[in-house]
Amino acid sequence: MLRLSHLVVVATILLLSSLIMTAAASSDYGEQIFERNLNVGEGVEIEHSITIEVVDTTEDIVDSAEFCISSPRAFARTVKVFMGDMPTKYETYNGACIYLDVISVHDETVLLMVTGPKGWRVTRYYEAEDAKTESESESAAETVSVPELVITRTLDRNHVEQGETVGVTFKIKNTGNGTASEIKLDEPLLREAYQENCPSNLDDIAAGATERVSYDLKIINTPPGTYELGATLLNCKDESGAAYSFESLSNTLKVTVKDVQVPTLEIGITIESDDNTMICGERFPVTIGIMNTGNATSGRVTIKSHLPDDVRVADGEIDPVYESIKPGDYVEHEVMMIAYEPGKHVIKMDALWADDEVSASAEFWAEQSSLATYYPHILAAVPIGLLLVGIIRRHKEYSY
Amino acid sequence: MLNILILGLGQCGNRVLDAVNHEAFGSGGTFAKYYSRQKFPASVKTIAINTAINDLKGLTDTRAKDRFHVPHLHGVGANRTLGKKVFDDNKEQIMSEIDKRGSFELIFIVTSTAGGSGSSFAPLLVKELKKAYNAQIICIAVLPFREEGSIFLQNTAFCIRELVAESPNGILLVDNQYLKKYAGDIKSAYDKINTSVAMRVLFLIEALNSEMLMVTDLGDLKTVMNGGIGIGTMGYYEAGKDGTIKSAILGSFKPSGLLFPTNVYNEGARAMLIIKGDKKYLDLDLITKTVEELSTDVGQVFKGVLIKKGRPKVLSLFTLNSVPELERIYADAADAIRFEMDKREQSKKQLDGAFAHIDDLEPIY
Repeated sequence: MLRLSHLVVVATILLLSSLIMTAAASSDYGEQIFERNLNVGEGVEIEHSITIEVVDTTEDIVDSAEFCISSPRAFARTVKVFMGDMPTKYETYNGACIYLDVISVHDETVLLMVTGPKGWRVTRYYEAEDAKTESESESAAETVSVPELVITRTLDRNHVEQGETVGVTFKIKNTGNGTASEIKLDEPLLREAYQENCPSNLDDIAAGATERVSYDLKIINTPPGTYELGATLLNCKDESGAAYSFESLSNTLKVTVKDVQVPTLEIGITIESDDNTMICGERFPVTIGIMNTGNATSGRVTIKSHLPDDVRVADGEIDPVYESIKPGDYVEHEVMMIAYEPGKHVIKMDALWADDEVSASAEFWAEQSSLATYYPHILAAVPIGLLLVGIIRRHKEYSY
Repeated sequence: MLNILILGLGQCGNRVLDAVNHEAFGSGGTFAKYYSRQKFPASVKTIAINTAINDLKGLTDTRAKDRFHVPHLHGVGANRTLGKKVFDDNKEQIMSEIDKRGSFELIFIVTSTAGGSGSSFAPLLVKELKKAYNAQIICIAVLPFREEGSIFLQNTAFCIRELVAESPNGILLVDNQYLKKYAGDIKSAYDKINTSVAMRVLFLIEALNSEMLMVTDLGDLKTVMNGGIGIGTMGYYEAGKDGTIKSAILGSFKPSGLLFPTNVYNEGARAMLIIKGDKKYLDLDLITKTVEELSTDVGQVFKGVLIKKGRPKVLSLFTLNSVPELERIYADAADAIRFEMDKREQSKKQLDGAFAHIDDLEPIY
């Protein structure tokens, strides 16, 4: 009695949970594709490609059902879904997901709800048990020829630089007892790479035969990184026209950028002043430094200056030419400049090499000397002073 | 170019020399020395020599290096005997100072005859200069105001006698007493006399050193100064707006233009006339004719004509056959000396009489 009431409580909780989860599923797990009672052996086809077959049901404390799910380019997978549990996710080859949720299990019947991408519909209901029964009955009557392709993909290198080519070879062995025909090879693409001479249709492969196919994978602008080269898919048919699908293992390919040997120059202008303020008419030192931060020696480097009209070079070569600058080397030249007019001045310098150039600029302020304010007074005072000196000298000359 | 030395001896000589230096600045006035240079018409060197340093300090237009102090306290106190001794003691320094200025063709010695330093130095200096230089030496002797005292009169008397004895090329007299009446007060009289003498000296120097239309030179000067008793004076006249060259020449013979009272027409021995002015005023025929007329009275008259802008100016320089005024001075000087001797004798007797009161007595304490 106690056990029965206990079961009722657990069942109630699970039922409520399943209701809550169902409500949640409808919002978080896409839209409902179907909800239907399925018996063991029955199956559902969604969007003509995904099949879900009921393999088994179990009634226990928590009921469950076992399903076999398959889709193109993916192995068939058997999953067990418990009633009241979170919907079970199944990811198809192209990345779209469907969610399986067991609503109830009774005997060999399961009430299954499947949700997924909007617009997906059930394209077929079928009974797998019948097909199996037919197949078994046919195999009993005659030996069936089935191809079994084993595909091995090898890359001639696992590390490649941009601009290089990877040789890709497929070794396809038919380990079955039937000829594989209408073989279609579906090779996944790698971003910014080009598959040269990659075959899409292969010749028939007889039972026990091995074929080798290769193509060149040209890495053009594939960004540097490590890539998982997805499995190669082979679709074929047997003599009876039945379709089969086989796939290879995935490969890892590391792409790096080719190390280009180029010089890279940086130019800097240093005006030696505490506050970048100069006195008009006074000389001040300016240092122009060039550093090669690249990985190759530069050719001839020409320095070209752009000075304001009222800024002149007083001493030094401002536009020198350097025959070469090695990687990591720093060269500098110092010139003495004079600004003649007050105000803001900008010095611009270019470093030109090969077909490249780099520029730098520096600004400073020039202001009149405080002494300049007194120039009129000084100009007036000088002749007066000289006159006074002359008078004093004359006075002394005539004083005894 | 003539090398000329002007020596100013004693206070009076210093002042006249200072006036010469002042006139050499031209019309610049008091402050000319601060912005201008002296423009002598020849190569002129000047030295002011004095034993009184304050007199040297009082000069304004003579350069300090041209002032030579003969060290003897603050002057010789009009004592010619002492002055001569001081000169002898410092003769080498004085001659060395003169020698620094180079060589000369003409030397003027300007001195008062009455003072101590100048009157005592002048005859001795003439003697030394004659030994050292082959130059004409002209003494410009300034006679004192007669009321200045008996010492000045006796100094004058002895000074002139000694000067004549040393035979300079000539003695030109300047009489303060005579010129005072044309000046007014003593101060302005001194200034005017000094300026007058300075102007005449510079005029003479300019004439001797310039290219002239009619030439007078240093030789003519020597000849003129050899005339008569070797003593003379100078006259000057500047023609007015309507005056003729003849009136200007004759004006320079008038008493108002002379530096010493004399009747040139009666007492003149030889003369030199220097006429300066714009060419339009200078009628050579008239000048020649006038000079010829004067020659009948004065004797040999040398004439020089100098073309310069401005109205005619005439400088006359004479030597005299007789100097009556000097006779009067010497008479007055003799009287003064005798009076002084008598007075001193009386004073001595009076003092001896006073001392006689205590001849037999001794002090009691």
